[in-house]
Amino acid sequence: MNRRRAAVALGLATALSVSGCAVGGGSGASDGTVTLHMVESLTNPARTAVLKTLIDRFEKQNPKIKVDLISPPTDTADQKIQQMLQSGSGIDTMEVRDITAGPWSTNGWIYDMSKDLKDWSGWDALTDNAVKYSKDAKNRTYYIPYGFYGLSLYYRTDLVSKAGFTGAPTSWDELLTQATAIQNPAKRQYGYAFRGGTNANSNAVAVIEAYVADKIDRENGFKLTSGKTIFSAPEALTALETYFKLFKKASPPSSVAWGYPEMVEGFSNGSTAFLLQDPEVIATVGESKTITKKQWTTAPLLTGPSGKAVQPVATAGWGIASASKHKAEAEKLIEFLSEGDAASTFDKKNSLVPILKSSADDTFYKTGAWASYVKMTENPDTYITVTQPRNSSWWTEWIQKSDSEIQKVLLGKMTPKQLLADWNTYWTDKWKSQ
Amino acid sequence: MNPTTTDAGPRQVAPPPAKTSTPAPPRSRRPVFTGRRGLSIAAFMAPAAVFVAIFVYYPMVAGGQMAFRNWNLNDLTDTSWVGLKNFREILADPVFYTVLDNTAVWVVGSIVPQFVIGFAIALWLRRRFRFRGLYQALIFFPWAISGFLIGILFRWMFNSEFGVVNDLLEKAHLIDTPIPWLADPKTAMTAVVIANIWYGVTFFTIMILAALQSIPDEIYEAGAIDGAGKVRTLFQITIPSIRGTLALTVLLRVIWIFNFPDIIFGMTGGGPSNETHIVTTWMISITQQGDYGKASALGLIVVAMLMVFSVFYLTATRERNGKAS
Repeated sequence: MNRRRAAVALGLATALSVSGCAVGGGSGASDGTVTLHMVESLTNPARTAVLKTLIDRFEKQNPKIKVDLISPPTDTADQKIQQMLQSGSGIDTMEVRDITAGPWSTNGWIYDMSKDLKDWSGWDALTDNAVKYSKDAKNRTYYIPYGFYGLSLYYRTDLVSKAGFTGAPTSWDELLTQATAIQNPAKRQYGYAFRGGTNANSNAVAVIEAYVADKIDRENGFKLTSGKTIFSAPEALTALETYFKLFKKASPPSSVAWGYPEMVEGFSNGSTAFLLQDPEVIATVGESKTITKKQWTTAPLLTGPSGKAVQPVATAGWGIASASKHKAEAEKLIEFLSEGDAASTFDKKNSLVPILKSSADDTFYKTGAWASYVKMTENPDTYITVTQPRNSSWWTEWIQKSDSEIQKVLLGKMTPKQLLADWNTYWTDKWKSQ
Repeated sequence: MNPTTTDAGPRQVAPPPAKTSTPAPPRSRRPVFTGRRGLSIAAFMAPAAVFVAIFVYYPMVAGGQMAFRNWNLNDLTDTSWVGLKNFREILADPVFYTVLDNTAVWVVGSIVPQFVIGFAIALWLRRRFRFRGLYQALIFFPWAISGFLIGILFRWMFNSEFGVVNDLLEKAHLIDTPIPWLADPKTAMTAVVIANIWYGVTFFTIMILAALQSIPDEIYEAGAIDGAGKVRTLFQITIPSIRGTLALTVLLRVIWIFNFPDIIFGMTGGGPSNETHIVTTWMISITQQGDYGKASALGLIVVAMLMVFSVFYLTATRERNGKAS
């Protein structure tokens, strides 16, 4: 081979290797085996292990389909998925959350499965909520939910009775009273695991929604039935004042920066008596070595002055990338994960509100910490379920803005009144600009 | 025997080249990229050039373009040209000025203690003593850990309720009540700087120790004969001998620390209420919101700032190379 040929060959090899970098997504082997690239978002080791077990079962049932599960760290997973979707390669199926479905579908990155799943037998087995959340406002199916997240109150039964109370608080006012009574910083005992860090907005909005429960728009939990924002209601100010009193009187000072890990750790290690969290924490607290199972349980979500609570439902599920070349195989996988034992196992092992109707008869969900969820489900007029505008394209911007402003209030740089006025203007302007 | 002759008889020997009065022109230091040789060199350099173009220059150009566009990942249906809008939004945001102040505190507050402590440890490690190798390994260990991990580690250490820092301070009777380190903007900035100092001391130690080991022992011996004490030895022998390395290390470190969001991200995420954001963490935070246009504009501002340090660095290295040659 002369030098010129060698140079050309080298150049070609480079070009091929470079173009090879751009090739991705599901790949097909010569024997007809298809490899699906699947990316999860809310990753944790235990959950990944469960998912891998289910994938193994799927692969055994479908020997011509292999699934390559990619599990990026939770903090950066959505960004990673976003980048892969934007590049149009390297991904077939992925975890789609209610907060990512909006922007991803707007950009045309995720596939509308509605036509393909029209005759899917699994629909009948899903709960009403699962069917509802699997379709957007225009009846498009971008993901099938694998479960639901919903708030309940985790509380220390021993500390509550020791402080002289007969049972768990049912309202925000009662929570303030009980948490304040339990608070004893000298003994490193705190009343409430306040969320002041990442996602602080979620609990603040939950209080406001409870206080305006009688006039809330159930299809848009940030709106009143009058069409105004919930932040414009006079009750919203009372709600926030009660909520911020919880921080001042009954929470650890450092909770101004507490996010999910600190809150759960605070409750699990016995430092805080109350915690407002989603059900996936049941499994985590259950593994605590500091507090025994007899020392804690959950209670339904706290009510406002009208005696009603508002449950903002959050969900996530499995969807398909628009650019995937193996949509049929990806759909098979999603159907498998959304049906029967696979769906039930995933929900139980990850402590999620289930998507299958059959779970209503399952004793697993009727006992212990799950009992509060059953109570909430059985009393839909007291525990009102609302849909938040989590699919807005500005949702991420809202989270960062609102979290930062809540910290400003906690640090005394903003008043609750200013905060509400700002939030009211923000959402009113955003909706006007739509 | 004359080596140029054989039994066959004398051969004609070429006369030596005539000496001319004008010396031959010096060979150019630059390689000649002509003909086949040039093609071969270009072919071997091509893969590297392609990769650099793809992974360095393309993102730079693309990022530069994004800075002038409405490029928001949450809605890419309109990515039109918006001129200087992204820059205006950044300059009009009060957080930008907090971020600038924090960046100055972050860089200066980290670099000075890192330098002083790193220098002291390097001087100590230069001496010959038992288990020196073990101490060196222990001191270099932090450098092997990821910055983000260090951040998470320090977040728990500085946690006011369960953290080891408050626990130690209380046991030493230095405080009565726990300090909410990461909850108060003033203490939060102090805490992240402390973490960064701990992390970065190693780098200075490694660099300065390497430079110290290049100073010949004879110079110290001569100094000792002349009666120089420890302080005079430090300021008149040690520091002048490694001045170049010190200057370059500091400059390089300034650029790195300026660009080092890992620890802050792991410890505070820029909070509480944006009070610990530096330019790079704020840029990541804007990226996380999906606003790549605004983040790219901030990126260009950061590049402009770093250019200043880069010019200093390049000038310093050029001077050093010039002196060396």
